[in-house]
Amino acid sequence: MQLPFWPVLLVDLVGSALMIVFSILCVGLSLKLRNQDRENVVWTYLLMVSHALTAFAVSRGVGHIAKELLILGGRSDIWAVLRPYSGSVNTITFCVVGAVTLFFERIWGVYQQVLRDKEALQKAHAELLFLNRHLEDLVQERTQELARSEGKYRRIFEVSRDMIAVVAADGTILDINPAGCEMLGIPHGVKQRVPDPADLGSFFANRRDWDRLRERILRECYVSDAETRLVAADGREVHVLLSAASECEVTRKTEIFHFVVKDISQRKVMQQQLLQADKLASIGQLAAGIAHEINNPLGIILGYTQLLIREEPEGTERLEDLRTIERHTRTCKTIVEDLLSFSRRAHTKKERASLHETIEEVLSVVRHNLELDQIRLEKDFDRSVPTMVLDRDKMRQVFMNLIMNAKQAIGKDGLIRVVTRWDSQRGQVRVIVSDNGCGMDPKVVPRIFDPFFTTKSTGEGTGLGLSVSYGIVKNHGGDILVESRLGEGSTFTVVLPVESEDRDTEKP
Amino acid sequence: MLMKRKWAFSPVSRWAKGLGVGLALIVAMPRVVWATQVHTEPEGLYAHQLAHAFFLVSMGILVYWLRERHLTHHRGWRYLQYAALSFIAWNLDTMFIHHLEGREDLFLTFSKGTLQATLQPFPGREWITWAFYLGKMDHLLCVPAIVFLFLSLRELIRTGYRFPRSENG
Repeated sequence: MQLPFWPVLLVDLVGSALMIVFSILCVGLSLKLRNQDRENVVWTYLLMVSHALTAFAVSRGVGHIAKELLILGGRSDIWAVLRPYSGSVNTITFCVVGAVTLFFERIWGVYQQVLRDKEALQKAHAELLFLNRHLEDLVQERTQELARSEGKYRRIFEVSRDMIAVVAADGTILDINPAGCEMLGIPHGVKQRVPDPADLGSFFANRRDWDRLRERILRECYVSDAETRLVAADGREVHVLLSAASECEVTRKTEIFHFVVKDISQRKVMQQQLLQADKLASIGQLAAGIAHEINNPLGIILGYTQLLIREEPEGTERLEDLRTIERHTRTCKTIVEDLLSFSRRAHTKKERASLHETIEEVLSVVRHNLELDQIRLEKDFDRSVPTMVLDRDKMRQVFMNLIMNAKQAIGKDGLIRVVTRWDSQRGQVRVIVSDNGCGMDPKVVPRIFDPFFTTKSTGEGTGLGLSVSYGIVKNHGGDILVESRLGEGSTFTVVLPVESEDRDTEKP
Repeated sequence: MLMKRKWAFSPVSRWAKGLGVGLALIVAMPRVVWATQVHTEPEGLYAHQLAHAFFLVSMGILVYWLRERHLTHHRGWRYLQYAALSFIAWNLDTMFIHHLEGREDLFLTFSKGTLQATLQPFPGREWITWAFYLGKMDHLLCVPAIVFLFLSLRELIRTGYRFPRSENG
């Protein structure tokens, strides 16, 4: 088998020529591609590859063509000289092509980075352009937003009924809202900034409470719902519920505290009243039980004593003894009845009546008595008070008790005011009995409705007057409120509800 | 004065002195030395084969990156991939042929250097002589490779290819 060599020669010659032609065409296309986007390094890379391949194709193609032609032309000697050069150049061009090709990944990475940078620059440029065009509007919009936000929080700060205060860690009040100024009795208006040495700790009734609170805030960063007492600048004591949180002020490098303080004095008073009512209810239950058991034997004692008196001749010592027994038994019976009234177990007979007439009846009885002690009596009746359903006798007893207590508190030379007011919205009538007498010690006030509690000396009172009045008013669905200042006088307010059917018959 | 002292003890001065002494010794005591390695005949072939291997590997890496970057979804880059694959095949072919060209136990050549030249395989060497004969027409591989490159560039121009920006570079 013999294989002709001419096809190999033909392929070699034609192939070499085609290689040269196409490689040059590739360079042309690469140039065109590069010219489309001169900043694109990938196109530059392809141009470099094309150049390298052209070098390779020309080197190899020219070498092969020269070889074949020289050998066929019988000039093998020339080819023998050229051959090493041709082979070496070919080797170099392979290496160049390989080396250039290997740059692809790096070129790609560079181009991607360029794209990212370009995108970022374009974005930044667009943002800058936008800002440049709309800077004024944006600033204005932002300012308005800030103003709205500031206004909103300022309103909360200003309008809050609770104290909101910003306090330095040493207790210095940095800012405080009007409610806080009012609570602490500090004059407000000067930008709500309190006087320089203002120290929140100084308003605590007990300085140690402040120290403990401060330590706790610093340790735990917040305190919620702590109860304490504050003493306002005008001496008023305020029960408060306090929450606080600490914040690190970076610029000042100090801690600052934010306080929200709620005045719970009213709640405390209500709690006291509830406790009082509960206590009185318990006492009333006990008293009622005892009174009921004692009432019958007392009636029998009184009955038999009266029988014995009737049979006893006049002028005997025995008769005097029996009368003493009768008198004291009656006193006991009165006390028992009072206890029953207090416990609301006594029989009441409610009827439609005029409150003003009931009060007038009492005043007409005590007026002379008051005049003897130079005590003036002023009355201020609200004509719109409607007729009410009440037990006139019992209510007379209530007003009598209040006025006589006022008289005893004044002693001689003073003023008693009796005022009535109709609160149509709440459906309540208020009867206010006030005096300018000696007033009561605040410690005494919570106990004045306790049965048998009295500040009077022995024999002057049983200590049942206010307890009985309390029971009667409660039996009418009302309440008695007390305000008293030692040395300035007391005010008792009887609050009586008016049923809707009563209102229908209101006086014009 | 101070400057002079500084210059006198500088490291440059010490190196210059050392170099001068060394040169003087070399000139003063000449000997025969074999400073460069002798490059005998097979080295040229090995260097050429290694260049082919380098060419081949670089094309393989190009194919890998083209596929890794998902560029081959586009026809233009796909043609470039085909070009690289063709060059790989061509390199393998030429390396094989260069290897066989050095052997004298495969065939005899008659009328060498003429258009009537023929190859006569030794008995039992027919198939490898055939492989050599076909492999010798290596342009059947490298011409398609350069044509694929041409098509690739033309396609990239025609479609106005725009690069996607990949997040991982």
